[in-house]
Amino acid sequence: MPGLSFENYQRNQHLATSGFAVPKTTSTGTTIVGCKFDGGVVIAADTRATAGDIVADKNCEKLHCISSNIWCAGAGTAADTEMVTQIISSNIELHSLSTGRQPRVVTCLTMLKQHLFKYQGHIGAYLIVAGVDPTGPQLMSIHAHGSTDIGYYLSLGSGSMAAMAVLESKWKREMNKEEAMALCTEAIESGIWNDLGSGSNVDMCVMEVGKDSVLHRNYRTPNVRAQKERSYKFARGTTGILGQTVRNLVDVVEVPIANEEMEVDS
Amino acid sequence: MEQRPVNWGRPRDDIYGAYDHNIHNAAKMPTVHTQQPIVTGTSVIAVKFDKGVMMAADNLASYGSLARFTDQERLIPVGKDTVVGVSGDISDLQYVERLLEQLEIEENYDNDGHELKSSNIFEYLSRVFYQRRSKMDPLWNAVIVAGVEDGKPFLSYVDLLGVTYSSPTLATGFGAYLAVPLLRQVVDKEGDEDNLTEEDARKLIDKCMKVLFYRDARSIDKYSVATITSEGAKLEKNVKCVEMNWRFAEDIKGYGRTVA
Amino acid sequence: MSLQEALPDSALHSTASSVPIEHRFNPYSDNGGTILGIAGKDFAVLAGDTRNTTGYSINSRYEPKVFHVGDNVVVSANGFAADGNVLVKRLGQQIQWYHYNHNKELKLSSCARLVQHMLYGKRFFPYYVHTILAGLDEDGKGAIYSFDPVGSYEREQCRAGGAAASLIMPFLDNQVNFKNQMDPATNGTEPHPITYLSLEEVLQLVKDAFSSATERHIQVGDGLEILIVTKDGVRTEYSPLKRD
Repeated sequence: MPGLSFENYQRNQHLATSGFAVPKTTSTGTTIVGCKFDGGVVIAADTRATAGDIVADKNCEKLHCISSNIWCAGAGTAADTEMVTQIISSNIELHSLSTGRQPRVVTCLTMLKQHLFKYQGHIGAYLIVAGVDPTGPQLMSIHAHGSTDIGYYLSLGSGSMAAMAVLESKWKREMNKEEAMALCTEAIESGIWNDLGSGSNVDMCVMEVGKDSVLHRNYRTPNVRAQKERSYKFARGTTGILGQTVRNLVDVVEVPIANEEMEVDS
Repeated sequence: MEQRPVNWGRPRDDIYGAYDHNIHNAAKMPTVHTQQPIVTGTSVIAVKFDKGVMMAADNLASYGSLARFTDQERLIPVGKDTVVGVSGDISDLQYVERLLEQLEIEENYDNDGHELKSSNIFEYLSRVFYQRRSKMDPLWNAVIVAGVEDGKPFLSYVDLLGVTYSSPTLATGFGAYLAVPLLRQVVDKEGDEDNLTEEDARKLIDKCMKVLFYRDARSIDKYSVATITSEGAKLEKNVKCVEMNWRFAEDIKGYGRTVA
Repeated sequence: MSLQEALPDSALHSTASSVPIEHRFNPYSDNGGTILGIAGKDFAVLAGDTRNTTGYSINSRYEPKVFHVGDNVVVSANGFAADGNVLVKRLGQQIQWYHYNHNKELKLSSCARLVQHMLYGKRFFPYYVHTILAGLDEDGKGAIYSFDPVGSYEREQCRAGGAAASLIMPFLDNQVNFKNQMDPATNGTEPHPITYLSLEEVLQLVKDAFSSATERHIQVGDGLEILIVTKDGVRTEYSPLKRD
């Protein structure tokens, strides 16, 4: 049977009621944003991944490549954003091979929303999809249940409100690439500082009409760890020696070297 | 009046009929406390500046998702140099208002010129809120106390759980998500407020109230601003959000697939 | 013996089940943060981060939670901030009243027993806090007392409490009590001798413990406030932590 298997759902529900812990998923409790500008679109994300209150990854990648001209920022369950992006990436590649055209963002959006709607929200992927295609720069978002939105500026994730506050107060209709990049940086940093689910660095991807898309991995790194006060190198002998055995792995046989004359080419 | 000692003070059976013992033996109904807010006010926001504190709250009282009353004042001046901003249940707000009024009246009986300081009012409120949560009968509010005390700005928060904290920027409800990030861009840590003038603080508050109106579905574009300095508290009412930008919205068509 | 068995954890967490959930006012919340106490030969330190949170929000970047309550006793009650503040405030008042009634200082060991009674007094509606008491004992030696929410307590050399306690405690076991360490001088045949750390070393450990907890726990950060108790009194040191 294709698709996800739900055969253990009832069993797990029963185990949960009898007090067994439900396995935790890594969530990218995240800030992601996107913003259009004259001749392109930019998306950005923070780089913190969390499992409950613990930081699971301090520098994870939330910007996923769907095709050379379409990128996607993901919030929600890390595995879901990763897998759904990969599936659609493969299908988009096949689609563009079969049609012989450059893939479009709407195609991608439609495939994603139909896939997510089919799973009724059980695939916890919240995505901002952006790219440049023959119809120009595009910026869209999808929720796990399959609803979509379009806009000039968007934000998603646990830090979406901190980011949106910045976007709402600084966004303007006419912006160039540099202004859009600065706005997205500021919006992500707003999430990094004010939302506990977001942190560490800013990743960014710029997609411009007629140009290759550029990924700025760790575009800003405002959270470099300071030098520790002490060195925690252990002195030799700190580890207890419980026992000692020495085994010979090879027998050493002494062979006298015959004193032969070296052959010399004539 | 019944003359037998056991029945002293009780209505006479021959006049009022026998006592209906079903009343006494009736099953006890559980005491029902406030378990959810009914008519509510949304965020209160506040920021310190070089010479005092500024606080704002909009004038909407919502009934669920209904915008029920559009002229609700939620900033309560107490004494000369304190203002209490209240969000959450409006009936509890009015009760808190009465408590504070009573507190002020009793303080003034002595007529010794002594006034309650902001920290006194805050301490009182935080104890009331903590006591009520401990009785499992909370006052369903989040409150910000703003004032000037000994020439220095005072700003503290208390909510229905009795949780208290202070910061140079504070907000309740949605404001904690939308306004605080903007306020912290200007005043991030203790001492940053020294570089913020009253004029700039006002612009900042207006910006935050505008963003809240854009994005908080339980807000309205009409609000009050309280400015407290060592000169006293000033309450400006019926301020409107200005220079809003909704123009671009009509260019957004559909939700992805549809192209007009 | 479990220190935690007394906790009604169903009060905070709802379990996943198909049974209808009764909607009821929850009188508790979690305000995050972490505290850490270490005792030395003639000093004790009690440190706490200054971040106060609810959910994914930072309420305040500087809200102190370690307090000097008089008589060279410092205390912190970490967990539900409203309960913590009330407990600390009551303890401070009790010490004051002890002075009025007896005109002498309250011993640290007596103070610890008092805290036990204050916590157990609310056995069936507990103060939702992990409490740590630091000061000097009758011999002038550094002492740390740590309490569970309903008053079970113990005197220890060091203890971490709050959100990142489980991250810091193993580090302390290794670096303060030299657990899992052999003496390098004996080439790993004898256990590391238990020695007192100097104040300077202790402060370094505290700072590294907190900067590391900040890296891996979302509720820890913003600032670190260390209260240092010596025979000369209580002194405070502040150092910044990462704010993300």
